[in-house]
Amino acid sequence: MTNSVNRQGLVSLLTALLLFVVTTNVSARGVYQTNEAFLNEVYDQTVPKSDVIWLKGEVREQVKKILGHNYNGLRIRYWKQNNRSTWILEEIGKEEPITFGIVINGDSVEKVKVLAYRESRGWEVKHPAFTQQFNDAKLKNQALDRNIDGITGATLSVRAMTAVVTLALYLDDFVSTLS
Amino acid sequence: MNRKMRSLHRTMGAAVAVFLLVFALTGIILNHSAQFKLDQHYVNADWLMVHYGIGKAKADISFLVDNKTISQFDTQLFIDARPVTHLDNPLVGAIVLEHLLVLATEKTLILLTPEGEFVERMGEEAGVPVPIQNIGTFKGEPVIQTLSGVWSSNSMLDIWKPISLQNISWSQPGQLPEDVAEELKTFFYDKGITIEQLIIDIHNGRILGSLGVWLTDFLSIIFLMLSLTGLWIWIKRR
Repeated sequence: MTNSVNRQGLVSLLTALLLFVVTTNVSARGVYQTNEAFLNEVYDQTVPKSDVIWLKGEVREQVKKILGHNYNGLRIRYWKQNNRSTWILEEIGKEEPITFGIVINGDSVEKVKVLAYRESRGWEVKHPAFTQQFNDAKLKNQALDRNIDGITGATLSVRAMTAVVTLALYLDDFVSTLS
Repeated sequence: MNRKMRSLHRTMGAAVAVFLLVFALTGIILNHSAQFKLDQHYVNADWLMVHYGIGKAKADISFLVDNKTISQFDTQLFIDARPVTHLDNPLVGAIVLEHLLVLATEKTLILLTPEGEFVERMGEEAGVPVPIQNIGTFKGEPVIQTLSGVWSSNSMLDIWKPISLQNISWSQPGQLPEDVAEELKTFFYDKGITIEQLIIDIHNGRILGSLGVWLTDFLSIIFLMLSLTGLWIWIKRR
């Protein structure tokens, strides 16, 4: 009788674990927050007018150096108010693009968020415990001024996120020198 | 008993002789697949491609704009037979402006150069009214239709004003041209099926689908019985 109860308990536990794994994976892909909702959150519902930066000449070369390849797109849109700029950037993790929202305040990172994740693996990068590593990061010799701890099984997503945060810092610096 | 066994052996042997030949020949060829480089040679006969479910490239939707074919296959956008960018939503239309090709999905406008190079994705955050139901032009200016009405913009596409115009030239889906469909077929299915794959499928019966698998099982049982009856006859003769 006790054995039977134990067996039932074990089966229930395994089923629950299986359901957890399955549902976690199902919910891992998709849009976590729309671009519009992210901007409303950043600017407290008063989103400034957007501007664009064309990727050509020196900027294009520098972007290529940071990402290791050309950015997918000839121009990048951004939103800037006072010293805060917000960038919505896409970068391929392994096979599919990941959409990141990055806020730069002054010359350092204020916030990084995964807005849409389309890969089947590596979604752990969306957790605030991971993205918080980028807070206050600055640009130093066209790279981040700190090391970012990786996540096992999410190496390419971590690499993509590190690259786009560096890119956002570079672009913010570039548009700041223009104004 | 011995005569019955010999008769059974002969009948079974004659019935499955052709299949046994096919098994043996394909087996020998597969054993030397690497030497013959069968995994590097392809067959792409139309009837075979159809049999493998590899028919013509069929886009989810396509539009013909400015002598270019814009098509969507699942989440991939193609200009002619070239992949350009990903799509999170179905395409609803495409127009050409002076210096841009503008494609519309329900939630974004996708901007391309006249050469088909990806420029940018513009959504609600860039001031584009959504959900977009259709896109068109009026006197060269972009016009989109949403649930809340019809909106017009300039070539920058960042300021949209509600309008109530008639005679808008709305984007209409079109058929994939034959030459583009052929190029896309090559893009998706490479050169066809390797000879090695074809021979493997003949060898294990899968060329005939699930029926072939059952047929192979049945033939294998007959081969087993052939061996047993052969052994029986040989033992009895001694």
